[in-house]
Amino acid sequence: MAPVVDFLQNSLDGLSAGAAYALLAVGFTLIFGVLRRANLSYGPAIMLGAYAATWLFLQTGAGLLVLFAVAVLATVLAGTYVERLCFAPHRKGAAAAAMVASFAIWMQLEELATLLLPRHLYAFPALYEGGPLTFGPFFVRVESLLILLAAVAVCVAGWKVLYATRFGIAVRAVIDDPRAAELSGIDVGAVSLRIFAVASAIGGATGFLIVASHEQVTPMLGMWSTLKGMLAMMLGGLGSLPGAIAGGLALGLIEAHSQWYFGPQFRDFIAYLLLFVLLAARPPWMNTRSAY
Amino acid sequence: MDEYAIGVLTSVGLLSFVATSAYLLLIAGELSFGQQAFFGVGAYAAGIATAMLGLPLFLGLLIAMVCGAAVAALVGLPALRLRGLYFAMATLAAAEMLRILFELFHWQVEVGGEVVGPDGTQGFRGIRWVFERGVEPLGFLALVWGMLAVVLVVIHLLERTRLGSAVRALGEDPELAGTLGIDVLRLKLAVVAAAGALAALGGALFAHHNTYIEPRNFDIMLGVHTLAYALIGGLGTVVGPLLGVALDLGLLEGTRVFQGYRMIVFGGLVALLLIWRPRGLLDERVVHWLRTRR
Amino acid sequence: MRWLLGLAMALSFEAVAQKAEARLDCIHTGKDFIYDCVIEIMRQGQPVTDLDVRMSADMPSMPMAHQVKPVTARATSTPGEYRAHLDLEMSGEWAVKLRLAGPLRDQLVLHYEFDERGARPVRGSGRPPRK
Repeated sequence: MAPVVDFLQNSLDGLSAGAAYALLAVGFTLIFGVLRRANLSYGPAIMLGAYAATWLFLQTGAGLLVLFAVAVLATVLAGTYVERLCFAPHRKGAAAAAMVASFAIWMQLEELATLLLPRHLYAFPALYEGGPLTFGPFFVRVESLLILLAAVAVCVAGWKVLYATRFGIAVRAVIDDPRAAELSGIDVGAVSLRIFAVASAIGGATGFLIVASHEQVTPMLGMWSTLKGMLAMMLGGLGSLPGAIAGGLALGLIEAHSQWYFGPQFRDFIAYLLLFVLLAARPPWMNTRSAY
Repeated sequence: MDEYAIGVLTSVGLLSFVATSAYLLLIAGELSFGQQAFFGVGAYAAGIATAMLGLPLFLGLLIAMVCGAAVAALVGLPALRLRGLYFAMATLAAAEMLRILFELFHWQVEVGGEVVGPDGTQGFRGIRWVFERGVEPLGFLALVWGMLAVVLVVIHLLERTRLGSAVRALGEDPELAGTLGIDVLRLKLAVVAAAGALAALGGALFAHHNTYIEPRNFDIMLGVHTLAYALIGGLGTVVGPLLGVALDLGLLEGTRVFQGYRMIVFGGLVALLLIWRPRGLLDERVVHWLRTRR
Repeated sequence: MRWLLGLAMALSFEAVAQKAEARLDCIHTGKDFIYDCVIEIMRQGQPVTDLDVRMSADMPSMPMAHQVKPVTARATSTPGEYRAHLDLEMSGEWAVKLRLAGPLRDQLVLHYEFDERGARPVRGSGRPPRK
């Protein structure tokens, strides 16, 4: 019975971690779907948001709601900055230039964050003060459930916006075919900017949830978010929101089980191996048309 | 020349190997986030060759290049049909897998009373071949730049042949290149292997310069930085990547006044530069203009 | 051009390896990541004197990105001890490089974690804690 219990508990842990990955993947996917480019500054913008909230907390001891607002706001500001500097100028041109520019700004944002808070570890107020929920031999952290809830909420809200608003129609049109959308009179630039803001807002919220649930902030957050988010996005098949959620959850599950059966080093190895194999094999649900 | 300048110039030379490796793939139309892994393969291969198998340096460099090309081809083959971000992510995944393999790689032998060899995350110490023969920093600098010069000249000459045109055609428009009779997949694989060998050569030299390597040396940061150097230096000529490296390390040193703000300044400058010049400073137009001035 | 001849000669001769061990004791001077470091150099348990010690540092991740100016460490009154100021760009884990010349030729790499107070030796360089 014990191995089954372990398996199920690991699955729960995997889904908990996966919820955060899913949220990260959603942000990457929104940007990728609309702009056809990967934003390498997404993780660092989230980090800057989390750092801004931490800085405010250290200065004023503000409450969770205020910190949440600050994190989201800072991330949206950073995201807008990135969009204007790295993506808007290259809309019709080279994708490589946009991505390398976003990498340069990644470095910039990370340095800004570490100038704000130079140390390697900062405490962050807890999202939830109580202990984990237990049922039978299993336990689930309440924080993880909250993150999962957030992922579901984002999904539902996203679906509503995409299918019940004019903005949503414009977004779907641009995702389908940017040139046709433009010819139909849609302001692709404005759509890109707004999607960037939405993705950054989701990112800021995700960052807040992650650091509050772990009760600490480290400079690794930028790189970590970027890697996990991109990995999850690609595992779920680029460019679809449900895919992003599925990819995130799948990544969480794969990591949890790999770590249990093979150890921490293999956890990352197996995730990368799976991605590589999927890319090489190109199953039909993995959209591998030439795309940046 | 003072030791500091020699150090900076040696670093510029070594990083140029990886940057030029990324350049080769860029002109063939692909972004690679993984050249740092072949830098690592070369470093470990050469280190093992000279420090553990007692082979002379030049043999070690050769072995490094062969290993780099082989591993690159091995990794490139399944990913050959991928393009754009998919190819880039595949290279990233492969590079990280290789780095984790370095972390798991333990092989030590006793050489002259000392235990030498890769020890997983603890790294690989004692790559002393160059050091033990009393080669001064200036001498090693000459070696690095000598080899780099040979490599750059060879690539430059090749770029002016039909092979070079084929590679650039591949980069511009693979479908069109295919209809022109270019074996697109084979050519791409050749570029991948050549880029791997080049990065590996740099890694081999790096290992002997540092006398110590560890898996962390070969992580994503190195790869993305050198990719950026290649793009900002310019894709029009093979000395573009070198220019990119020199700009960062030169600017870094020249702007000691920006200490602590270096990445803020440099990152911003890079983003702005790319708006003005999406294919780098020495892009194809500038190079063409320079060539047709006489 | 002597160095060119030296290179050619060196690349063809054998050499004997000479091993040394070193320990670092660094205190932050309070200024901007400049550390006052005392280096202890020993060979087979015995302190080594009259060495020419050049010290510099590099970060394990992203090597060659931070060009730390090499400094010469001056010998102190204690045998086997040398002292220098190390000017780093930031805190964190650094691979400190000691280039020894004179009665002993060697190049050592030591990993230390530098923070606001000083430097602590790092046992086993692995990945920093992932968040």
